[in-house]
Amino acid sequence: MQWRPAHRYRDEVATRARQQAVVADLGQRALSGLPLDELIDQSVAALMRELGADYVTVLELTGDRRGLLIRAAQGLPEGVIGGVLPASRDELPGYTLDSDRPLLIDDFGSETRVAPSPLQRDLDIVSAVAAPIGTPGGRFGVLGASSRRTHSFGADDAHFVQATANVIGAAAERARTDELVRDSEARFRELADTTPALMWMTDAEGHVTFVNEGWLRFTGRTLEEELGDTFALSAHPDDREGLLDAWRESFAERSEFRFEYRLLHRGGGYRWVLEVGAPRFARGEFVGYVGTSTDIHERKQMEDALRESEASFRHLADTAPVMIWTTDERGLITFVNAGWLRYTGTTLEEELGPSWSLGVHPEDAPAVISSWNEKLAAREPWELEYRLRGKGGDYRWIVDRGVPRYEGGRFAGYVGTAIDIHERKTMEARLREVYEREHTIAETLQRSLLPERLPRIEGLEIAARYLPAGRGAAVGGDWYDALERADGRVALVVGDVVGHGLRAAAIMGQLRNAFRAYGLEEVSPAEVMARVNRLVMTGEEEAMATVLYLVLDRETGEVTFASAGHPPPLVLSSDGARFLEGGRAVPVGAAEPGIFREATAVLPPGASLLLYTDGLVERRDTPLEQRLRELAEAAGRGEDGLEALCNKVLERVLGQQEPIDDVALLAVRPQPVSTGSMKLALPAEPESLSVLRRRLGRYLHAVEASDEVAYEVTLTVCEAAGNAIEHAYGPMDATFEVEISFENGTLLAVVRDRGSWRERRGTHRGRGLKIIEGLMDDVEVSTEPDGTVITMRRRLAA
Amino acid sequence: MTSAEVAIERRGGTIVAHLSGEVDMTNATRVREELLVSVPNDALALVVDLNGCRYLDSAAIEVLFDLARRLGRRRQELRLVLPQTSPLARVLTFTDVQSVAGMHETLDAALSE
Repeated sequence: MQWRPAHRYRDEVATRARQQAVVADLGQRALSGLPLDELIDQSVAALMRELGADYVTVLELTGDRRGLLIRAAQGLPEGVIGGVLPASRDELPGYTLDSDRPLLIDDFGSETRVAPSPLQRDLDIVSAVAAPIGTPGGRFGVLGASSRRTHSFGADDAHFVQATANVIGAAAERARTDELVRDSEARFRELADTTPALMWMTDAEGHVTFVNEGWLRFTGRTLEEELGDTFALSAHPDDREGLLDAWRESFAERSEFRFEYRLLHRGGGYRWVLEVGAPRFARGEFVGYVGTSTDIHERKQMEDALRESEASFRHLADTAPVMIWTTDERGLITFVNAGWLRYTGTTLEEELGPSWSLGVHPEDAPAVISSWNEKLAAREPWELEYRLRGKGGDYRWIVDRGVPRYEGGRFAGYVGTAIDIHERKTMEARLREVYEREHTIAETLQRSLLPERLPRIEGLEIAARYLPAGRGAAVGGDWYDALERADGRVALVVGDVVGHGLRAAAIMGQLRNAFRAYGLEEVSPAEVMARVNRLVMTGEEEAMATVLYLVLDRETGEVTFASAGHPPPLVLSSDGARFLEGGRAVPVGAAEPGIFREATAVLPPGASLLLYTDGLVERRDTPLEQRLRELAEAAGRGEDGLEALCNKVLERVLGQQEPIDDVALLAVRPQPVSTGSMKLALPAEPESLSVLRRRLGRYLHAVEASDEVAYEVTLTVCEAAGNAIEHAYGPMDATFEVEISFENGTLLAVVRDRGSWRERRGTHRGRGLKIIEGLMDDVEVSTEPDGTVITMRRRLAA
Repeated sequence: MTSAEVAIERRGGTIVAHLSGEVDMTNATRVREELLVSVPNDALALVVDLNGCRYLDSAAIEVLFDLARRLGRRRQELRLVLPQTSPLARVLTFTDVQSVAGMHETLDAALSE
């Protein structure tokens, strides 16, 4: 077992917390739209500051992917920024590009994997840490920090550099995405002005927020008349109900919407239109639909005309703006109209017969041919969207539809119409792409902010799971955390930020840090909640989260917890599964001042504790109580190892389906008190004495010391500790360490401090020393350069 | 946290203070103040009942010596109640508290002196 002084541990925790805060802050800046260059500069400055590095650089992969542009740096000589280094795979920067994790070089002198870059050699760099920026498929570059000393950076620093690199990567991706969005919007406006189609948009409630000029020209109504809760108002009364039903169904499922109906036309008549709507998303959230309505009146007329006479059909067909075709009963083309030929740039002769499918995009051809053959055989209507080669050689998306026609009751072939939908298709694809990028960025940011690994906490078994919601859903802001307080208790937190996407992920990062900071400082869970709540309520951004915060005493199994609108923790023991009720209040961010409550319970020996977010138990079709019951049943008595328990719970509660919301799960189990030896490090302050007494009490009880011996040993150890507390050097250095073991009927207690032993200063301290010497069989005080060690032995009665 | 409670009752000319909980350097001063202000000038003696006391450290023992000294100046007596079976008994004996305060097995014994 490694002896780890408490103050060092606290420094590590503080450093990590500060680094996390830096990452969350940079993430927040990235989200608020800080230009990429400024974000990179601020990241470089933050790394210089936090790592105490000599140099920090951001290298960007050049367009030809063979060089690395020095995009930003600190500590480097004048004029280096803007230069290009070769992206050699043998040197640290190039090597890192191909790596999927940060690289830590303790000393280039003994390093075997990579060489320093020429620039690093010139600068006499000895140790370094570097992390790739961007996804493996879309590397942006490398973020690195280096030093002229050996062993300047640790594993936590590497994680910090990677997390910062992830934020820069996300921001770079975001900058590209923003261009895409702007591009899409520009395209949309352009499209809206030039397209023959009618276009519209709705908000997330389904209210019409935009119709284009074409729509207004078509209906002859004004913009004011069209906006708002107007959907289907202009439809033919006979079509209105069917249209609304189809719309509501698609809207509820956020699926594509498609319907043919008669739309009011200026002057009082109605014309047939095909309406197609696609759900749109921004920042990962559903924001409404965008749709087009295409005039298909000619097609409908065509079908009627064809029934009257072939001649009037052809005349009509050639003047129609759509593409029209007919086949014979074998499916061979007998006619295409002028519109079709204008599109394909071919002649009528080339199109006739079986050759029409030659213009179909090779990727779409198999589906087009098989579906056409199938419908033809069954003489059913056929409809498909596919890419058809245009006259310039470019493929464009069309929607093609054919219906069977009959002459004198005999099947005579098909009549079909095709409409160019390329703009709509392209826009849909772009929207989808934009949305998916958002999803990836949010997930990246969230992963950077979640603990890479949970801390190892002595005397506590711990396991955690994080499952992002299924593809197509927005990333949520769930998190979990565990930290060891100075008093030996463990704070556990599980939370869920209301909302989804990047914003939720960034808020999650801030909340996590707030709980870390206040959780280390403040004992009472209700007070920690109140403080975080105050922080959230006074912040600029609106944020709300449900949180379960719990403090566990590993020795006694006592838990004190507060729930801010969060589902209750579950205790698993040989008595079965039991939810911890009480301590409930409103979510964090809901009210100020927030009134938070806390409740206390004691875990039976060997019990496990399960904390989770509501993604695990929430399902639209099932009441929460029932889902909680299912969770309790799935968890059983917690007889499995914690890793197996987590797997079992996820498997049984979620089943095969992907979760609809993110799921965070944290399981802990205090390990039984060891009778071998116990070590602890405490701050040198009088308040530590009560903690020390509890821990000693548990230990002495476990080794079956009598009440009298237990009291006397506790008293002597505490007297020695009291001396350390009274004579600690300064507040920064103030810790003491206690180690106690039991062997061959003898208790050995060692108290170490960083001060010097004081002899008999005043009668009170003198009495303390007298107690130590009188109650123990053997006491040694040794003064070492960095402090005092008191070693005490006491035989226990046989 | 270290917590101790002091409950005061008056039995004729004697003040009885029931001290329960734990006393260490964090709360010894507060306990001493509470005990001192409970003893008026006309009282003959202060009996501190340690039956409910789970932990006393050297700072708490120092409080007992200090109390005895201050009460002694006012010709008032300090008596302690602690059964010999208590885990605390050996330490109190060992630190010679009985040289400044009478030790009694029971409250009745302390009152009947």
